[in-house]
Amino acid sequence: MPDNAPLIEVENLRVNFHTPTRLVRAVRGLSFTLGREKLAIVGESGSGKSMTGRAILDLVPWPGEVLADRLAYRGKDMRAMSSSERRGLRGKHISMVMQDPKYSLNPVMTVGDQIAEAYRLHSKANAREARERSIAMLEAVQIREPGRVYDLYPHEVSGGMGQRVMIAMMLIGEPDVLIADEPTSALDVTVQTQILDILERLVTERGMGLIFISHDLPLVSAFCDRVIVMYGGKVMETLDARELRQGKHPYTQGLLGCLPDLDHPKDRLATLNRDPAWMGD
Amino acid sequence: MATPAIEVENLNVRFGEAHVLKDVSFSVAPGESYGLVGESGSGKSTVLRVLSALNPNWSGRVAFSGEAHRARPDEAFFRQVQMVFQDPFGSLHPRMTIDAALAEPLAIHGLDRPDERIAAALKGVGLDEGFRFRYPHQLSGGQRQRVAIARALILEPRILLLDEPTSALDVSIQAEVLNLLQDIKKQRDLTMVLVSHNLAVVGHMCARVAVMNRGIIVEEASIDDLRRTGGQDPYTQELLAASRHVAIPGAA
Repeated sequence: MPDNAPLIEVENLRVNFHTPTRLVRAVRGLSFTLGREKLAIVGESGSGKSMTGRAILDLVPWPGEVLADRLAYRGKDMRAMSSSERRGLRGKHISMVMQDPKYSLNPVMTVGDQIAEAYRLHSKANAREARERSIAMLEAVQIREPGRVYDLYPHEVSGGMGQRVMIAMMLIGEPDVLIADEPTSALDVTVQTQILDILERLVTERGMGLIFISHDLPLVSAFCDRVIVMYGGKVMETLDARELRQGKHPYTQGLLGCLPDLDHPKDRLATLNRDPAWMGD
Repeated sequence: MATPAIEVENLNVRFGEAHVLKDVSFSVAPGESYGLVGESGSGKSTVLRVLSALNPNWSGRVAFSGEAHRARPDEAFFRQVQMVFQDPFGSLHPRMTIDAALAEPLAIHGLDRPDERIAAALKGVGLDEGFRFRYPHQLSGGQRQRVAIARALILEPRILLLDEPTSALDVSIQAEVLNLLQDIKKQRDLTMVLVSHNLAVVGHMCARVAVMNRGIIVEEASIDDLRRTGGQDPYTQELLAASRHVAIPGAA
């Protein structure tokens, strides 16, 4: 397969939740293709950006249903796959870094064993090889003294370290596609920069595709190649990341306008006017 | 010069072996907004916990309007100094309606006309009376933070301490809460201390900031100076660079 073929194709993706009282439409007709690039999905909470990531991985919780005209990984239709085939994709081909390491790591298992477990799930490695690989992976995400950190429990590591552990765990299966769901929102600015550096390096070195889910527009415009702006489960616009400032949609402009800016102080921050017409139907 | 609203001199806090605040000194003028920035573990929240008497183990000198701060102050103190916490979900009692949560401080301090005061406090933060009989889980993050602000303001304090008031919120909601805080400050002539790791937020709200790292104030400057000079201390420069995103690859 040529290298420029799309890794992920999504066409008219819909995620619906049938609740006893009403139908909640979390994602309403999202389409995009992902190559070996850094694609950002931005929007406020509730815009459906996390559900998009989960739908690709088949991790939408009950009673959610995922509908799409096309949902393919490297040209293979994921809708036709059985759930065990989908499970085979997860971690090995497509993996996802969650937002908060505090809640996403197993609290009663050392972080190293969790990484090793992820590795052994997808390879025939024995325990010692898995341990060595995991330590090498911890080193790759720039953890000092990886041998010591391997035996620590999640509550013994800091937020930034926990996030690196998660990235190590997700990358050890050497996936082609990494979905990062707000990987830096829970972190300090200085640590944030380090995590992004690591992601950037690994994604470039391994030629992976990255879907970066975030609500931080300045960060996304500096870090990613393309940006999809979502609101209420719909795409407002798709932009080149460098041209985010020139975004035409009032929602994009609204999101940019409500940010305090250190270098351009203003008396009052703009607030978003949400236009019901954006939701269309 | 008038007596500062808050004076802190050589404040030291130790938790067992850990020396978390080392000779911290600063003062805040009445009606001023003062910012404390730094990353997690720099001790900025501990400063607020000392000021709000949540942490009674400290040494040094702390004074409010010239009056020495005691480790266990009396009720009158809490009418003057109130605090808003980072996580609006964690700081509101899940089994108490908004009305009950707002009535409690009034009952403790024996204030009259609780009904009117609660209605006024909610109105002041832009929530209508329909919210009074809801529970915290029925509100969005921004609404919960508004309730937390109303809860702090219902006692009409002179000093408001804010511990990362917007870091749990979306950028669009953050703008609404920051605007609200500025309106309230203008109306009531409050003295505010704002703790945040987001330099842009502090820069928007405060004229003067102290940059903290590992329990020490490494630099105190006006926001204008920081913006112009980029800061004197290497840590300040790093923080400033990170908030301007120049350190991220791809951005020139």
